[in-house]
Amino acid sequence: MKVEFWGQEFKVNLFIGIPGAFLIAVASSMFGFGGGPFMVPLMAVGLRLPMYVIVGSSLLAIFFNTLMGSFRHYGFGNFDLIFFLIMFPAAILGGFIGPRIAKRLNPVIVKRVACVGLLILALQLLGVF
Amino acid sequence: MRKNPFLIMLASMLFLLIINPCLSMAQSQKEAQPSQPQETKEEATVKSEVTIQLDKKQLKNGGTVIVTGKAPEGKPVYIEVWTEEKVRAARLDAEVDKETGKRPYIFYMTDDMPAFYNLLMPKEFSDTLEAEKKLGRKWSVSALLRNTGATAVFDAPAQAKIDRYQTSILANIIGSRGELLSPMDKSENKRRAMQLVKAKFRDLPVVFKANVEINPDGTFKAPIQLPGNAPPGKYYVVAKVDKDTKSETVVFENSISFPSVYLDNAGRTVNLFVPFLLTVAVTTFGVLMGAGGGFILNPLLVMLGLPHTVVAGTVMPTVLFSQGSGIYNYSRIKFISVKLGVTLGLAMLAGGFIGPKLTELITLDQYKFLFGWILIILAALMLWQTTPKYLERNKKEQAILKEYQRRAQEAVKKKQEGGK
Repeated sequence: MKVEFWGQEFKVNLFIGIPGAFLIAVASSMFGFGGGPFMVPLMAVGLRLPMYVIVGSSLLAIFFNTLMGSFRHYGFGNFDLIFFLIMFPAAILGGFIGPRIAKRLNPVIVKRVACVGLLILALQLLGVF
Repeated sequence: MRKNPFLIMLASMLFLLIINPCLSMAQSQKEAQPSQPQETKEEATVKSEVTIQLDKKQLKNGGTVIVTGKAPEGKPVYIEVWTEEKVRAARLDAEVDKETGKRPYIFYMTDDMPAFYNLLMPKEFSDTLEAEKKLGRKWSVSALLRNTGATAVFDAPAQAKIDRYQTSILANIIGSRGELLSPMDKSENKRRAMQLVKAKFRDLPVVFKANVEINPDGTFKAPIQLPGNAPPGKYYVVAKVDKDTKSETVVFENSISFPSVYLDNAGRTVNLFVPFLLTVAVTTFGVLMGAGGGFILNPLLVMLGLPHTVVAGTVMPTVLFSQGSGIYNYSRIKFISVKLGVTLGLAMLAGGFIGPKLTELITLDQYKFLFGWILIILAALMLWQTTPKYLERNKKEQAILKEYQRRAQEAVKKKQEGGK
């Protein structure tokens, strides 16, 4: 498939893009996370697209997944309204605070800290300790 | 026009004629209904050789109620405690059948599981409980009940009506629970209820305790411990010697106050500041590391003891808003390739249709296991994004990105000015 973006044309390999996006969507809706951190590498490495094409378009693609996943979870009775009402304002508040702190921090260090944190969490989930 | 009043009268008479029998039938049914439990109650009091008292009728945010009573001498006494609040319990039976050697793939589900259930046993069974506990994740409710002689008294969860579905891979692809099978008979329902008790409450000490102190003269005493996360509302207590020899049902009430709130679908009371502060902290950090908060938030919430189905189903819609506003911001400066976004989006739409179905089928342990591996992959991706080679490439890309964004914004401005 050919995609035009700001006067440039890119070739997108749908044989990688569609199965990849599908699998990421299954996993992310199954476990209830967004899926952005997997979609961006898929589009950057798998589809060889530059970052400026990815940022917006990946968000649009993920939105489809989140919308469908939310409806389906609601349909299966997995949605708890009070729980949602607690987390929703908290998520918006976090979205306000985050960018304000981000300017003062070195993103590389943040990512390395996150990396360690994720590993600890992963090992805990796997029951290693 | 003239006929109208007559018509109305006729119609209303007809209506009355039709509805009258219905009403009287409903009334007689209503009358009949309460009489039934009364009868059984009388029967119970006649038969009852077990008496029971509670030391208090009101609890606030959990606590301990002491049960005392008297039963026939030398008999074991079991005490069942359950709440009026109902919650969902589900389990996929995919273990190989010993007789046929096939996996049944039957999905059992009920929405009537008491959100809190305890079966207190005589103290002499504490060793039996310990032995079953040592089996770890493989402990079984039915074996425990058999070994403690409590099979006959296990009743409140067995009253839940359990639906069973024959699932298949195809059913999962089209996103249904599968074919609804015929209802089970009472004993089968009870057997499945035992499995669902384990699926819901998971740990043996949460449900079964050996703490009924029985004296030689038949008097007994036991503490009912309600944890802080127990649901509010009425709790029922019955002391039983066997299936028919039991006390009448006594009631106590648990109330919760701010900042505790009861999560209806999760069947748990939580302090609302815990998930709130957790979400603020995690989403803030999520912005910093450039990944959504769900990756960290979901495992933490699951570790708090909330059911993974409710966590997945409730965290997902919270990010809808931020995603929507992000899309709006990018689309205003025409920074989205709609063709690319929609093409991949449709694939994700199909994936999002199937995923939530799978959440139901897996157990909490499987959820944790798979999530653990996903996090390891994510950690590897993050590490890769901090390698010098990636950073160099990213620097260039970011510069181009900013340049394009600037141009895009200028284009929008010019358009607006041109419009004026």
